[in-house]
Amino acid sequence: MSRKLLINILSIVFLAAVIIALPIMLGSVYWTSVLVIIWINILLVSSLRTLKLLGHISLGHVGFSLIGAYGSALLVMKVGLSFWISIFLGGLMAAVIALALAYPFLRVKGIYFVLLTLLTAETFRLIAWHWPSLTGGFWGLLQIPSPNPITVPVIGTITFDSVNSYYYLTAVIVSLSLFVLYRLERSRLGFKWRVIQDTEVLAQSVGINVMWHKMLNFAIASFFAGIAGALFAHYQHALSPDSTARFGVLMSIYLLVYMVVGGEARFAGPIIGTVVLTVVSELARGLGEYKPMMIGAIAIITMLLMPEGLVGLPNRVKLWYRKLLKPKREMQGSA
Amino acid sequence: MDLPSQVWVQAIANGLALGWLYVLMALGLTLILSIMGILQLAHGEVYMIGAYVTYYCCVSFGVNLYVAMFISMVVMAVFGILMEKFLFRPVQTQILPPIVISLGLTLILMSSAVVGFGLYERSIPRLAQGSFVFLGSAVPKDRIIAVGFAVALLLLLYLFLKKSKYGQAMVASAQSREGALLRGINPNLMSSMAMAIGCALAAAAGTLAGSILMLTPSMGTFPLLKGLVIIVLGGMGSLLGAAIGGIFLGLIDGVVPVAFEPAVASLAPLIIVILILLVRPQGLFGHE
Repeated sequence: MSRKLLINILSIVFLAAVIIALPIMLGSVYWTSVLVIIWINILLVSSLRTLKLLGHISLGHVGFSLIGAYGSALLVMKVGLSFWISIFLGGLMAAVIALALAYPFLRVKGIYFVLLTLLTAETFRLIAWHWPSLTGGFWGLLQIPSPNPITVPVIGTITFDSVNSYYYLTAVIVSLSLFVLYRLERSRLGFKWRVIQDTEVLAQSVGINVMWHKMLNFAIASFFAGIAGALFAHYQHALSPDSTARFGVLMSIYLLVYMVVGGEARFAGPIIGTVVLTVVSELARGLGEYKPMMIGAIAIITMLLMPEGLVGLPNRVKLWYRKLLKPKREMQGSA
Repeated sequence: MDLPSQVWVQAIANGLALGWLYVLMALGLTLILSIMGILQLAHGEVYMIGAYVTYYCCVSFGVNLYVAMFISMVVMAVFGILMEKFLFRPVQTQILPPIVISLGLTLILMSSAVVGFGLYERSIPRLAQGSFVFLGSAVPKDRIIAVGFAVALLLLLYLFLKKSKYGQAMVASAQSREGALLRGINPNLMSSMAMAIGCALAAAAGTLAGSILMLTPSMGTFPLLKGLVIIVLGGMGSLLGAAIGGIFLGLIDGVVPVAFEPAVASLAPLIIVILILLVRPQGLFGHE
């Protein structure tokens, strides 16, 4: 028990050290900015997986991310709030809108949820496009300020203008969010979600309010999508409602592909999938317009050959290994 | 609002013409959904590639437009059968894998189109030139012909499903896969047929749209969304629901942008879908 705890603590310390050291080790602004996007995408994909705990597949997560992004940016720019409040309010806005949509969306069969979320995201995007007085229309929202500097007693004032400092900010916020999502999944609430996914009728008959738990799940997932959006907005300083940009259908597709390639059964799946696929597609930058083709092919091959994703790889390797060893053992047994 | 009546007639005519094209998309989607139980999210890309096949037949090889459209439908039907056999059949009974596979296909087909056809806009020759006057406003002839084609295809599909042996087998398979299997109906054959018919309809829709609007590699996303909305409106597996939902949506698309601001107009489909789901979760003509 204590040994296991020690290993856990050591691996967390090691992981934290790697995360802190990465931008210094890489030493390039370009790769650090890739890392920031990876962090933000990890939060998006992980909250997408929170929906999957209830068996819901969303193609509209970018829509709630858009709400958080525009919401937080506009609160800072037009109302004059501090970033530290607006990021939270951005997430909250996404959660409230999700809660309002949840009842009609979750009452219908599961496959409808995919269509409805897709429609929702496109609707939000089109509203941002067609409302120039608020969102800047198709020119996009420009000159979004960086987070306000904070003053820490010992270290002094920290500003978030540079990529490196924003990397640490994102790392902290996303890690905290992931911790919350992880604890939620292991909590009583997460347990009830699993029961509902397994047998909805049984869950209802033992007194779980199925509808409320589904709505809560949708709201929580959307809250973190909103947080991710706000992080993105204050990092890029500009938002565009274009279909090829951050909040289009293509991004929704990528998020889902990250999740399944990583493996949606485990909490680590989305993290592994996002990191691996982002790094692969960054390395394959030379492919240019062939890049989506490669991601698409990876998605299809994963589904056909390894549906449990990358997190299932160790088990699979173990299985192959055993198969290879088995004939030998049988020979030994007969001899 | 004080708009002249011609504007309204024009808006309604435009909306109806596009509405029928969306119906063709929705019919394919709902056939595939009800028989195979999968959501074919690459259907918009089938529509787009169908349009390009017609374009190349017409412009590069000088084939007659109507023949080219037929060729495109056959090509896409074969493509659909291949997709079904090699990609969707292995994962048919699950929920997540078919969605991911169809999304992967979307990425592959869209980027292939960007690489192969280029990003600039093209146009299929018009179905007809000129326009005629209806209630004091000009309605282009090619839209009327497009609507005629769409209605004819819908009627053909209806007759096929109601009167022919294979059509009845498909209806049975959609109602109960196991029941159909017990009666000796081959479910794999039914899936192939659903996919072939769905893709042929999408190719026809793409061609008709391509002769009214423009061809671009990303042209498929919008009609796919419209088709999905129609399925939700009309109810899963209902042909009549799809037809009425399509006309309804077309009218909204035509009239609402004229009457309201664009931001409000883009909100309209979502609001209507939500309202209908609140009253009838199974869609207008669906059944549990």
